[in-house]
Amino acid sequence: MITAGIDAGAATTKVVLVRDGEIIGYRIAGTVFDFLTAAEKNYRELLDTTGIGRTDVAMVCATGYGKNAITFAGMGISEITAHARGVHHLFPGVRGIIDMGGQDSKIIVVEDGKVVDFLMNDKCAAGTGKFLEYTARALEVPISDLGNFALRSGNPSGISSMCTVFAESEVISLRARGVAKEDIAAGLIAGIAQRIAIMAKRVGLENNIAFVGGVAKNAGMRAALGKELGVALFVPPEPQITGALGAALAGQRWRQGNGALEIGINDE
Amino acid sequence: MAPPSTASGYFQESYDLRIAELAEERAQGKTIVGTFCLYVPDEIIFAAGADRIVLCGGRADTIAPAEQMLPRNICPLIKSSFGAILDSRAGGTASCPHVRLVDAVVAEATCDGKKKMYELLPEYVPTYVIDLPQKPGSPEAAAYFLAELRKFGKFMEDLTGNRIRPGDLQREIASANETRKLLHRLFARRKRDPPPIRGSEILRIMQRQFFLSPDRFRTGLRQLCEELDHASTPARTGPRILIAGCPMAAGNTKVADILEQKGAAIVVEESCTGTRAFWDLVDESTDPWTALAERYLRIPCACMTPNDDRIARILDLAKEYTVDGVVYYTLQFCHAYNIERLRVQKALKKEKIPMLAIESDYGDADAEQIGIRIDAFLEMVS
Repeated sequence: MITAGIDAGAATTKVVLVRDGEIIGYRIAGTVFDFLTAAEKNYRELLDTTGIGRTDVAMVCATGYGKNAITFAGMGISEITAHARGVHHLFPGVRGIIDMGGQDSKIIVVEDGKVVDFLMNDKCAAGTGKFLEYTARALEVPISDLGNFALRSGNPSGISSMCTVFAESEVISLRARGVAKEDIAAGLIAGIAQRIAIMAKRVGLENNIAFVGGVAKNAGMRAALGKELGVALFVPPEPQITGALGAALAGQRWRQGNGALEIGINDE
Repeated sequence: MAPPSTASGYFQESYDLRIAELAEERAQGKTIVGTFCLYVPDEIIFAAGADRIVLCGGRADTIAPAEQMLPRNICPLIKSSFGAILDSRAGGTASCPHVRLVDAVVAEATCDGKKKMYELLPEYVPTYVIDLPQKPGSPEAAAYFLAELRKFGKFMEDLTGNRIRPGDLQREIASANETRKLLHRLFARRKRDPPPIRGSEILRIMQRQFFLSPDRFRTGLRQLCEELDHASTPARTGPRILIAGCPMAAGNTKVADILEQKGAAIVVEESCTGTRAFWDLVDESTDPWTALAERYLRIPCACMTPNDDRIARILDLAKEYTVDGVVYYTLQFCHAYNIERLRVQKALKKEKIPMLAIESDYGDADAEQIGIRIDAFLEMVS
């Protein structure tokens, strides 16, 4: 059975195709403005590249901030449940998930793939991809290099402000004082890692923690977060697609008649 | 989900009639006081021959006028309450129609924000503040509060020109107890699975408890209980949810509405617009003043310390109403309830009852984000 998962995120749209539990293809593209257009285009292109027909897909399951806009999906689940499903599939022993996305960050506690508690930060840009984007811009460093920059630092600066707007001006004043870009980058990342670690400890995460979402691609953040939590983190080869993967798996489960959990979005 | 009851039409109609009724009472020389909080005993007001209405505190549109004078980072209930009075006295449009009908406001020394806001009120409306011991449970606290209530009684006597006789107080205690018993009867019906009435409907009724006249309020409650006993069983609804936390003053139904929109069945509210308003009865077999002091000090508001009774009550309600999860609701910047959250969370965790914390204001900006959390929480407890 083939099912599709679509994670309509605020910054990027992720599509995953799954055949009997195995990923057969995925695609990540910017959401830009319209969730539905981005999802439709991304899905069509993935079907084209994998040579799978629309009618071969038994279920399309949507998740993410824009899930209700994906009108061609047959069902929808929350991104919390989706990440838990996706990560559990990749790392069955994982007890906690840290997801840092474009516009929010989440901490999820899981037991046997089932969510038992979660925390979300979606009111403040600190701890999200947006924060890193802004600060990379203030440093005049490409966002993709920010993490490696940070790893080269021997003396991370103390950044006191975790507000995106104020951090940007703090970066500018540090630069004016001649502090190395590497040290500023490392300071910013350490500050964020500390904040996320506090959230993780609030819900009792200790070990067996997976780190997913777009920010998990940042090597500096992976190192800083691991150091802050005192454990090695499980990071999937493609950390951005666990939500879409979880949605595709939920679609498969629902088709197999074991999906009491899911709420069909078209039933509302 | 249960369809709206016809009794809610009666409550709405009573609400519309009430403003005219109070204006009429006032024209005939009756004293009307405005209140904000459960700690102000209705019994004393009525025994003095006065009437009362709860003042607005749940509306978003009165916050902007309040922010011209108050700090922005205090709870929306305080800002909204103050803004309604401010604006009303200035003849503004974003005002509470109730405040124009009152001769005085009877306030209470609960949280810091309210206490300091009440200090600003006398410029706009005569204000009386009842003090509260914040470490209840000792004989000294009870004696102090008894003295405070007697002082308040004296204030009401002076305001109305009537004397409060023990018989008046006993009559009003019996009347208020009758309302409380009816609310117990109504809430007990929500223990059914699925519940025969929506939580948002109950919330809108509870928001009018201290606005309507006790007679009309009780008539509505009797009608509603009767109706629920004969209602056909609604289709199976979603997870059974207990809301615990800050008051949801009239005008504020955001979180309850989102919960239901996402499929939850709200079965009980541990709040000032829920069980805290009516749970304990006043002992009718003893001295009425002492009985009032004893009962009102038992209200488990987070301004009290330590507030162990509240935690015990949440656990009891969770079991009695067989809930699947607790939504811990707090108003933004409400330090007392926000900090107490940790103790509640720990107690619930021990009993393996899942809890979702939601902190929000009166704006709609976070509706979508709250929806995401609720979606995930309902999936989690299903």
